[in-house]
Amino acid sequence: MHWLSKKRYICFMLLPTLLVYSAYIILPIIIASYYSLTRFSGIGEPEFIGLKNYQALLQDPFFWVSLKNTVIVLGVTLIVLIPSAFFLALLLNRDVKGSNVLKALNFAPAVIAPILVGLIWVFILDPDMGFVNVFLQKIGLEQLAFQWIGGTTLTPYSVGVVESWRILGFIATIFLAGLATIPREIYEASDIDGANRVQKLIFITIPMLNETFKINVILIITFCFKIFETVLQLTNGGPNHLSEVLVTYMYNVTFISGEYGYGMAVAVVTLLITIVFMALFMGLSRKRVEKKGV
Amino acid sequence: MNQAMTQRQENQNLAKSEKSKTKSKIWSYIPIYAITLIVMLPFLWMILLSFKSNSEILTSPFSLPTNLSLENYRSAIATLDLLLMYKNTIIIAVITVVVVIIITFMSSFALSRMVFKSGKLKGGLYYFLLLGLAIPPFILLFPIYRITIMFDLMNTHASLILPYIATSISFNTLLFMGFLKGFPKELEEAAIIDGCNLFTLCKSVVLPIIIPVIATIFIFNILYVWNEFPFAVTLISSDSLTTVPLGISEFKGRWNIDYGGIIAATVLVMIPQLIFYGFFQKYIIAGMTAGAVKG
Repeated sequence: MHWLSKKRYICFMLLPTLLVYSAYIILPIIIASYYSLTRFSGIGEPEFIGLKNYQALLQDPFFWVSLKNTVIVLGVTLIVLIPSAFFLALLLNRDVKGSNVLKALNFAPAVIAPILVGLIWVFILDPDMGFVNVFLQKIGLEQLAFQWIGGTTLTPYSVGVVESWRILGFIATIFLAGLATIPREIYEASDIDGANRVQKLIFITIPMLNETFKINVILIITFCFKIFETVLQLTNGGPNHLSEVLVTYMYNVTFISGEYGYGMAVAVVTLLITIVFMALFMGLSRKRVEKKGV
Repeated sequence: MNQAMTQRQENQNLAKSEKSKTKSKIWSYIPIYAITLIVMLPFLWMILLSFKSNSEILTSPFSLPTNLSLENYRSAIATLDLLLMYKNTIIIAVITVVVVIIITFMSSFALSRMVFKSGKLKGGLYYFLLLGLAIPPFILLFPIYRITIMFDLMNTHASLILPYIATSISFNTLLFMGFLKGFPKELEEAAIIDGCNLFTLCKSVVLPIIIPVIATIFIFNILYVWNEFPFAVTLISSDSLTTVPLGISEFKGRWNIDYGGIIAATVLVMIPQLIFYGFFQKYIIAGMTAGAVKG
């Protein structure tokens, strides 16, 4: 390989990737950080104002509402998805006839465009003509027919349910990959010791999947902080920004209100919050492992 | 005699366990089919509604459609320029995917096979290229919008192709590097001794070996471009450049309260995606899980 590793060959092979990557990933992050320190309305030169955008952010009630909604979406998704995806994986892991087809069907929502997912769920959640409320009225449970979307409180919970539906099959597939790595011998040994199914689940399967659970929590965090199209289709952040999540709020501030500098401050803070959430979770799970080790 | 007895007993035991097996099988069938049905419900609901008139949708949504009305589909096809949406998306997807596969293959080949003077630089570049996996695209929207204006690319196919290439680099690097690292170098070294140059080495020796990973990357990249919405809505304002996701985002506004039209349009773009997925689900599932687990 030495013969072909002349400097100009290496440069030639690396250059196109590095060029596009630097211009469209690295440079934009620098630009975003710079604009977040300015006031800029799209005309003329951006005016440098230091950390004022960030100070304004702390006083901005809509920012806190979007943060709260994002946390609700994340919470709902974690609570719904971790047990149900794990359960689905356990079921798929057995020798069920056509389990490949079932796996593919459950995975399908993760593949179609998120903008389409949002639109489909409008017809499920719409308070007047959506599936859920029409169904509830039909079986005589009118009192449960809430305003799932478009009201003042329930939208982020609904968004969490939609996201759970979207990535259920995907998260279950990761669990399945984890289940495949557990050696059969352990189960056989526990058979000899007379362990029943529940004991096997609690003392073998779940502890052995520790790593997989962690991966899935991290995946769910990244997915939830990227939700954009669903909110756009269901309510577009309304009424009066009440159902906004961080990403849609950033988008609306930047491109609809045209406050580019302030919008970039929201973007930078959103990125930082994502990182903090992941770091917190990883720190927590590490501590638990250390305690167990002692 | 004795032996025959144990044999019979064993058979009986076997039959018993067989019986309990079918019983437990039924118990595992019911929940899995129930879950799958619930997951499929939104799709089925859309398809059912798409054959109903607007008044039926509002008054009797659950009953089967009285006469299979194709009125909604007629309205959808008449209102939408499906051909244009698909044409733009296909142009952008094909150019993006071909270019990004070629350039990320080149850079991954260099980083996994070529000899660098400094090993640190090589490792550093690899992690540098993976950084993109952790960066959400939303922080890039406005800066890329500015860059696009600066390059005078607004409302061209290139305005989307370039960011799509950039945001695919990290994922492709991860998969290419993972595959190339696990592959022995002997064949390539033999080819070099035989006097192969860099181009023929890549084309005739390495390329045939990495076809499976290219297939996964190809389908994964296509899917990403096909579904991408945030960049498209930010960078495209001209109707003649509308992509499939952009078209979908306008359904609600176009038909206002003609639910039938929106639903039929939704089904019309949903079905091709599901068919595409049906054909390539193996690669898609492999690509998505590999990216997630390794990342």
